[in-house]
Amino acid sequence: MGRATPWALALGQMALLVLLGPLVTGVIQKLKARLQCRRGAGILQPYRDLTKLLRKGTVQADTAGSFFRAVPVLVLASTCAAAALVPVLFAPPAAGSASPLPLGDAILLLGWLALGRFLTAVGALDAGGAFGGMGASREMTVATLVEPVLMLVVFSVSVVAGTTDLGAIAGHLSLRRGSFGAPDILALFAMLVLLLAETGRIPVDNPDTHLELTMLHEGMLLEHSGPGLFCLVLAHHTKQIVVMALVQALFLPWIPASTAPFALALGLGAFAARTLVLAIFLALVESSYAKLRFFRLPQFLGIGFLSAFLAVALRLL
Amino acid sequence: MSPELATRLIDALGALLLFTMILILAAGQLYRAIYAVAAQSVLIALAGAVLGATTHNLDLWIVAGITLLVKAIALPWLLLRVIRRVGIRREIEPVVPITATLAIAGGIVVLAFHLSSSLGAVRQAITGNALPVGIALTLMGVLVMMSRREALTQMVGLFASENGIFFTAMAVSQGMPLIIEIGVVLDVILGALVMGVMVLRVRSSVDADIAELDRLRG
Amino acid sequence: MTTLLWILPLVPVAFGLAMLGVRDRRLFHALDLASASATGVLVVIVARTVMRDGSLRAAGVFAADAVTVVFLGLIALLGLATAIYTIGWMRREVAGGDIEERRLPAYFALVQAFLATMLVTVLADNLGVLWIAMEGTTITSALLVGFRRDRYGLEAAWKYIIVTTIGISFGLFGTVLVYAATAHALGGAAAGAMNFTTIAAMAHRLDPGIVRIGFIFVIVGYGTKAGLAPMHMWLPDAHSQAPSPVSALLSGALIKCALFGIIRFHTIARGACGPAFSGRLLLLFGLVSVVVATPFILTQRDLKRLLGYHSVEHVGIVALGLGIGGPVGTYAAFLHVLNHGVTKALVFFVAGDALGRYGSRDMGRIRGFLRAAPFAGTFLMLGAFSLAGTPPFSIFVSELLVLRAGIAAGRYVTVAIFLAMVVVIFAGLIHHAGKMAFGEPDEAVRRGGEAPSGVLAMGLLAAVMLLLGLTVPPGLDRILTRAAEVTLGS
Repeated sequence: MGRATPWALALGQMALLVLLGPLVTGVIQKLKARLQCRRGAGILQPYRDLTKLLRKGTVQADTAGSFFRAVPVLVLASTCAAAALVPVLFAPPAAGSASPLPLGDAILLLGWLALGRFLTAVGALDAGGAFGGMGASREMTVATLVEPVLMLVVFSVSVVAGTTDLGAIAGHLSLRRGSFGAPDILALFAMLVLLLAETGRIPVDNPDTHLELTMLHEGMLLEHSGPGLFCLVLAHHTKQIVVMALVQALFLPWIPASTAPFALALGLGAFAARTLVLAIFLALVESSYAKLRFFRLPQFLGIGFLSAFLAVALRLL
Repeated sequence: MSPELATRLIDALGALLLFTMILILAAGQLYRAIYAVAAQSVLIALAGAVLGATTHNLDLWIVAGITLLVKAIALPWLLLRVIRRVGIRREIEPVVPITATLAIAGGIVVLAFHLSSSLGAVRQAITGNALPVGIALTLMGVLVMMSRREALTQMVGLFASENGIFFTAMAVSQGMPLIIEIGVVLDVILGALVMGVMVLRVRSSVDADIAELDRLRG
Repeated sequence: MTTLLWILPLVPVAFGLAMLGVRDRRLFHALDLASASATGVLVVIVARTVMRDGSLRAAGVFAADAVTVVFLGLIALLGLATAIYTIGWMRREVAGGDIEERRLPAYFALVQAFLATMLVTVLADNLGVLWIAMEGTTITSALLVGFRRDRYGLEAAWKYIIVTTIGISFGLFGTVLVYAATAHALGGAAAGAMNFTTIAAMAHRLDPGIVRIGFIFVIVGYGTKAGLAPMHMWLPDAHSQAPSPVSALLSGALIKCALFGIIRFHTIARGACGPAFSGRLLLLFGLVSVVVATPFILTQRDLKRLLGYHSVEHVGIVALGLGIGGPVGTYAAFLHVLNHGVTKALVFFVAGDALGRYGSRDMGRIRGFLRAAPFAGTFLMLGAFSLAGTPPFSIFVSELLVLRAGIAAGRYVTVAIFLAMVVVIFAGLIHHAGKMAFGEPDEAVRRGGEAPSGVLAMGLLAAVMLLLGLTVPPGLDRILTRAAEVTLGS
């Protein structure tokens, strides 16, 4: 039972998340289709879409600069970096000294995600299209509402663990599983609201549409094509699974504390099961709610904000 | 059920109650607020059952049952029926912006927890965090009533407020005397009926929503 | 004797139920008067018993002590006066088509139910019963406030029921907290942990912190119902829109019942947290009420709204008396409860007459009232002088006592503000009343033809008002002194 997380394991976890990301999207799409009494595309459809994009050439707007080309790669890179920081299969037991290689700091994780978001928005502005600009401005508005709440949620949990190291938090929580107090419940609800916003799902954004009035994320991708679009779409899938893994690490931390192959397999199974639960949650919400008007969003995200705030307050009082 | 487990369950229910209250505060549509308050009443009934199982007090079970029947089923049904009869506008238009209301609500909860943590040994007379959550729910219910104009939303706020009182009352050592709780519930029903009748009457005799009545000033 | 306490609130209930089947208008009034007289007789018996034995208790639900007797007497007296006044008033309303004949059973039954809930409120020993009855008064009187079913009436009724119900929920929360404190002190939920007599007897053992929070909830909650500023928003609306006899009951009796609730918790809080805490809160709310009401009284054009704001001021004075405390201040508060109840009911009767004559509550259009209705006009002037605090009327006496207590307690700032406001209100009120009473009424205004019943009811109240101004009868004096002692917990 090693204290340190081997580099290989961290990279393996990252690769796993990047590879599984499209699958999760596919599963959600399939669930949604079923809930709406459609047959829907197969769960591997996102992979097919991605490979299709790789085969296509790139078309670039005349107004776009050379930076525009670099954006997709940078976004994918920052998202992958974020993916390396979440504990998925393994969480070091929190007892005593910090591990030589910290699995990941929560604030750093949020920083990587924010960087990805920022780069996407900048890229959209760089292309000079009207939709891109609108999408970017809306995305950043949502970001200002979402990111502080995300911070609050992380704080509310890290107050207990006494660290912002995600691995340590998950490990600490694994030790005292079952004691799920009032602040945890509120923080979990806040996190679920955020999950909808961060994955660009229905009350906040509509992932299935290119209708100009409703799109946030899609608007920013409009000017991209070919391999560039491949990077951005893959980054989006990855971000989704990373946020889901973050929810699990903070609130459903049944993560093995050993690197034995059997434990790792168990961890993978548990991760799959929990992710499926979250996917079902997303599909249910998407099927039963309508997208909110943009100016109603602060109100919706306010639910998350207040819940997270109360979670922190209850912890401290 | 052991007292420790009961305390933990009450704490958890308290958190869920606060969350339903947040949903009511943030609800942009009337029927959502009504569903939220119904869910809240179910939680109150659950709390009654938990406390009943802990203290082996039959009264609490009865109160839980009454709460479930009256506040989780009958009153929300009444509200939905009035909506259908009157055809009120379903979007809630607050006097105070909802985001501001949410901010005030945050302050209220912090204040409630601060107040109750300032108390001494007497806190043991009330299980878990039922006291601060009860205070917070009551005040937030009043906040809903003050920040909205629609008659039915105000009624939702009233029910939420009373849920808070019930939560605390049930958690006081053995709960209040049964006859008092029943009397309170009866008053709530009667009050709700009178209010419902008034909403319908305003619609039929003045042809307006109560929210539009604002001539009495000064 | 204890069964008497059960019978007392049942009298109006029984008469109210009987009225539902009646169709003849004269029979209504007969039943109304019979109910009021029966209540009056029972109240007198209760009062005598209480003064002989100290207190009366019935099975932990009802109890009567001197404080109860003060409020019981007020409710019984106003119930009787209103029953008499309603005879003439109702004839005119029905003739004028303002109230349909077929809705009379509902009106009379509701008034009886309203009286019954008020009686239960002041008789309650169990604080839960007190709350239930108080909410009952809201429900019954809200229906009466909105009885005319027009736009304004419904608006006032809605505002009334919503605002007071919010307030009352605060009251319930306060009750729950005090109950929690008692249960804690008793080491478990024992029988009688909600009874005022039990709690008051062991008040010094209660946890001061939680009682403090509880009292804040109660004073805000029941204070809403009592019309203390700044929770008074419903009061002018409801008082102005209700039918005039109901206005008299609302202002004369109902808001006093809410004060009764505050007084009960004041006693408990004094025992648990010492006299300073609850007294200071009452002082604060009382002063705010007096100050807030003043500008509205000066600029008011609507006669009944004027009286409504005036009630806010006087409830504030009662709170001041209680807040200043001591035997004198508390005695003055109880005396003021009686004086204001009687006087305000009288003036609302006059307002009902004026409303019928001029068809308007606008004081700018009421002219030459003395010519048009010599009796009612005289009573208007008497009532106005009394309300403004002129000797030899009763309110002067109680206000003077409050002042004396304030000076004796060294609360000079409070006394100064109070005096200034009373002087300003005096000027405003006499100005308004003078403009209404003197001058020549319009040709269209009906002259004379005052209903004998109305004059009788007003005369009865005016006589009480004058009597209390000249002297406090020894029997009443003993009751008030004892009530002050009970409130102060000695």
